[in-house]
Order: sequence, then C-alpha cells, then structure tokens
Amino acid sequence: MTTLDADSARWLEELRGQGSVRALAHTRLHAMLLRMARAEAFRRRDSLPPDVAGDLDDLCLQAANDAVVAVLGKLDAFRGASRFTTWACKFALLEVSVRLRRRAWSRRRVALEEASWERLVDPARGPEWSLEHHELLSTVRELVQSTLTESQRRVFLAVVAEEIPIDVIAERTGSSRGAVYKALHDARRRLRAAMAVAGQREAK
Amino acid sequence: MNEDIRNRLLGSASPDPGCEACFEILDQYAEAVLQGVDAGRLFPQVIAHIESCEACREDTEGLLAALRSQSSDESK
Repeated sequence: MTTLDADSARWLEELRGQGSVRALAHTRLHAMLLRMARAEAFRRRDSLPPDVAGDLDDLCLQAANDAVVAVLGKLDAFRGASRFTTWACKFALLEVSVRLRRRAWSRRRVALEEASWERLVDPARGPEWSLEHHELLSTVRELVQSTLTESQRRVFLAVVAEEIPIDVIAERTGSSRGAVYKALHDARRRLRAAMAVAGQREAK
Repeated sequence: MNEDIRNRLLGSASPDPGCEACFEILDQYAEAVLQGVDAGRLFPQVIAHIESCEACREDTEGLLAALRSQSSDESK
C-alpha cells in the first residue's frame, strides 16, 4: 500500500465517515466531479453538434451522478498511487466523454455493415502520396475481406472507415468499449500479420 | 508512407493492454505527465494504447487539460 498524501487520506476518511461528515464529503465529491464534467464538455463543445452543445447541463449532471457512484463503489480499490482527486476525476471524465460521444451520434444512422473507404482518401494530398496511399488502402481492403472474421470486419469498418466512436458501437451492440476495442485490436493484428506475409511473398 | 493513415488502419504493433487496463493507471500516467517525468518510459503500455485507441486518447487529453486547469487554479 502506497502512503497516502494528507489530502487523499482526508477524502477517504470523510467519505467513509458517518453522518454529516460523510454527507458533506459526498457533496464535495459530487461538486468536484460536476466541475470536471462541465469543463470537459466545454473543452469539446466545438466538436459537438449545435443541439448537443447547447444542452449540456443535464448530461453533465448525469455524468457526475454516475461518476460519484463509480468512485464510491471502487473506493476500496484506491491505493494512493495518485492523488485521490486525480483518481476520482478520471471517472467523471470517462462518464462525460462516453455520454458526449453517444449524444453526438444519437440522431445519426449507424450501419455497421456498410463502409465508405473513400473517407480514407484525402484529396488535398499530392498525387505521389495518393498512389502510395491507394496501394495501402487497396491491400488492406482485400485483406479485410479475406482474413478477418465477420465480427472483426464489422468493427474494423465501423471504426476505421466510418469513424464511428467505439463507445457508440458498444452502445448499439450491447457491448463495452473494451470489448469493441479488443475486436478492433485483434483485427488490426491479423491485418498486420497478413500484410507481413504478403510483403514477404512480394520480396521473393 | 504516411504514418497517420497506416496507424489509423493498422494501429500500433506495440503491446497494448486495452481500454480497461489503461484506465486503471490513467491517473498515475496523467500525474507523471504533469510532473514532467518521463511518463512514456514509466507507462509505455498507456502510450501504446492511446496511439491506437482514439476514445482513450481523447479522454487522456481531457484529464490532462482538467488537471492542468485545476493546478493553475490552485496556484492562484
């Protein structure tokens, strides 16, 4: 167990305390996590659709509420490897960012079986770069069809070609961010291995 | 070859612990960054993950921004 700094020790003591001490600590924690959620929502406001950016109060409040629950539920797991406030703030950050991504995509159609590879083509780049770029895209596109499983292919195309956030895919498929990322990671690993084999074949 | 597009398509080949494992130590990584120590050497697994996971990269940036703002408020 790492030695706690004084401020973190006080947070733990008060959050585990009784009566008004505990109630006050919960209120302070909620206020801190709400500030954190609002700051993050404000930081991302330019990347949000106007209807979402104009209505963030409730979203931030829900994020702070759920972050408080997460922090209190995991209090015994806090080992003091960082300050308590840093540790607690990451839960608010996660809660608000997942909600922001999902809200931003809430009115958009998510079709996991379709993919626009053209999104990966940047017309602003020069012809030489484009040629190399197209060759890579073409190879990867072939390998996506020939080497990935159906579920890997769907996740890969949704994230890489359609740029759908993994939190949104997780929500629509009843999965978790970690599980979606793992499918993406496995798909990419399989593609890298297949590309290496293809490269060796070409070299011969 | 443009590394952005290669990374977007194929991700990083470095060992990647995944979202949950990265989140577990995100607070320690963030404090190391803010203290100016070599966070990449101390937490190579976080670097490997956020290179390939856009959601966790954005969240890490958000946490760092918030902690910087918090520390600037505290020093006033």
